[in-house]
Amino acid sequence: MVTHLLETKNIKKSFGGVTAINNLSLTVEKGTIFGIIGPNGSGKTTLFNLITGMYPLDSGTIFFNGKNITGLRPHQIAKLGIGRTFQVPALFSKMTVLENVMVSTFIRSSSLKESQKMAWDILELVGLKEKANQQVNNITMEDRKRLELARALGTKPSLLLLDEVMAGLNPVEMKAAIELIRSLKTEELTIIIVEHIMDVILSLCDRIAVLDYGQKIAEDIPERITNNPEVIKAYLGERYRARN
Amino acid sequence: MEFQRETYSSNHKTSFFNLGILIFMIALLLFLPLFISPLWIRITTEVLMWAGLAQSWNIIGGYTGYLCFGHGAFFGIGAYLTGLLMVHLNWPFGFCLFISGILASFLAFFIGYPTLRLRGAYFAIATWAFGEMIRQIATILDITGGAFGMQLPAYLNLPFFYYIMLLVTGMTYLTTHLLLERARFGYRLLAIREHEEAAEMVGVDTTMTKIKAFALSAFFPGIFGGIYAYWVTYIHPDSVLKADITDFMVVMAFLGGIGSLWGPLLGAIVVQFIQRILWIVWGEGTFYLVIIGLSICAVVLFIPNGLIGLLEVRIHSPKESINFLMKKFKW
Repeated sequence: MVTHLLETKNIKKSFGGVTAINNLSLTVEKGTIFGIIGPNGSGKTTLFNLITGMYPLDSGTIFFNGKNITGLRPHQIAKLGIGRTFQVPALFSKMTVLENVMVSTFIRSSSLKESQKMAWDILELVGLKEKANQQVNNITMEDRKRLELARALGTKPSLLLLDEVMAGLNPVEMKAAIELIRSLKTEELTIIIVEHIMDVILSLCDRIAVLDYGQKIAEDIPERITNNPEVIKAYLGERYRARN
Repeated sequence: MEFQRETYSSNHKTSFFNLGILIFMIALLLFLPLFISPLWIRITTEVLMWAGLAQSWNIIGGYTGYLCFGHGAFFGIGAYLTGLLMVHLNWPFGFCLFISGILASFLAFFIGYPTLRLRGAYFAIATWAFGEMIRQIATILDITGGAFGMQLPAYLNLPFFYYIMLLVTGMTYLTTHLLLERARFGYRLLAIREHEEAAEMVGVDTTMTKIKAFALSAFFPGIFGGIYAYWVTYIHPDSVLKADITDFMVVMAFLGGIGSLWGPLLGAIVVQFIQRILWIVWGEGTFYLVIIGLSICAVVLFIPNGLIGLLEVRIHSPKESINFLMKKFKW
């Protein structure tokens, strides 16, 4: 039996009368970059919050590595190997850059020294090594985004959820970020990425799913998704078709 | 950027420095009684006790960012339990202290278990109610002597109480330093204070970590209560369970600087000093409460990091300070 890295089966979540996620079923294969796009309020971030256990599901199940993770608490899910970044950086502001990453490497090592070393390695990878001892308050937006990523990598995830990591970056910074994300992808690290910037999504992803009103309206490879009439109607708009 | 200065608690370099100062201070205090009069020994003993109490409040209130308004109850429980065990069972003093600390921790665990799952003001309200409950219980029970209180065996040996207070206060500060400033536990607490959801998301079991912090912060007041009871030999609900005790812990920690190792010590010294001066000038009275209230207002409005924060001087606008504190306590 082939096991997918992540599988959601008919998951559902509503807030009051609003259905944020409606009978959503997704499978993500190991070692790929999976993109999720959709209009604002289509449930992308909610989906991340459900996968990481931040919100309880109304119904449905989520499997990770063949294991049912429905109902587990976020820290347990982190331990199993799912890491995430927040759309608006949610950093520990009165701690240093290094300490921010150390908090997440703690779950992979019981020694303070070793977790510090692991944190250093990750900071080097994302290019924040020079700023390791700075207070988070003092670093730029771009660096905060990098730190978000570094902290998510600190838990040594096998699945990484990136929530609009490009938002707020200028084109040069964005290019660097795309390179960084591409360099992260290995057989051991699968990435799900939520993004509004189509160029980013199209250049990075192996497969793309489109959400609208909490439902999946399409899923395909990047080349075909931009020509899907449903997707154009719900999200991309006629102008996008004209441009291509 | 408003708050650019370094957090004392999260900087590794100041860490060894702090340990050095701590050991040096304890060594100095060991010899102090040889040089000062009994009155001053008495005053120093009291300051030591308050410094320890304020620090234990600081563990949950300052480092973790959860306001506890019932910490005085742990002090009172320690006082009564030590008294009861000594009077009725004739257990040795040291052992009674230990049991008092354990019981206080145990109770903290049970209050923390339901209330620390939630964020926001629930914890503050629950701990306040707990404090009131303990006071009422001590007032109606027969075994505690009700409103009249109880008498402990008298032991008039001032240096003994000085040294035992020094020992326990030293332990409080060392534990805070080693566990909260130099271990994974401390980093986790800071992460919870700074952003609880993010902490949970990177693998911190936030509920359990908070409960542990609360149990730890209740352990020392239990012991201090026991020492205090044996020292003053007569306790009653209005002496060891009054709301003032919690208030002073909070005030001292805030005045000195919450979330820092030296803040509570500084706060305890300053508050005790003001209290003494006013006592000398005006005699017995409650006017010092007005002064302390005003100074707390000033601290909250202008120096949210407390007096210790003044060492890296910058006075803030009231708005900045209030935003800072609101964020700290998640309101």
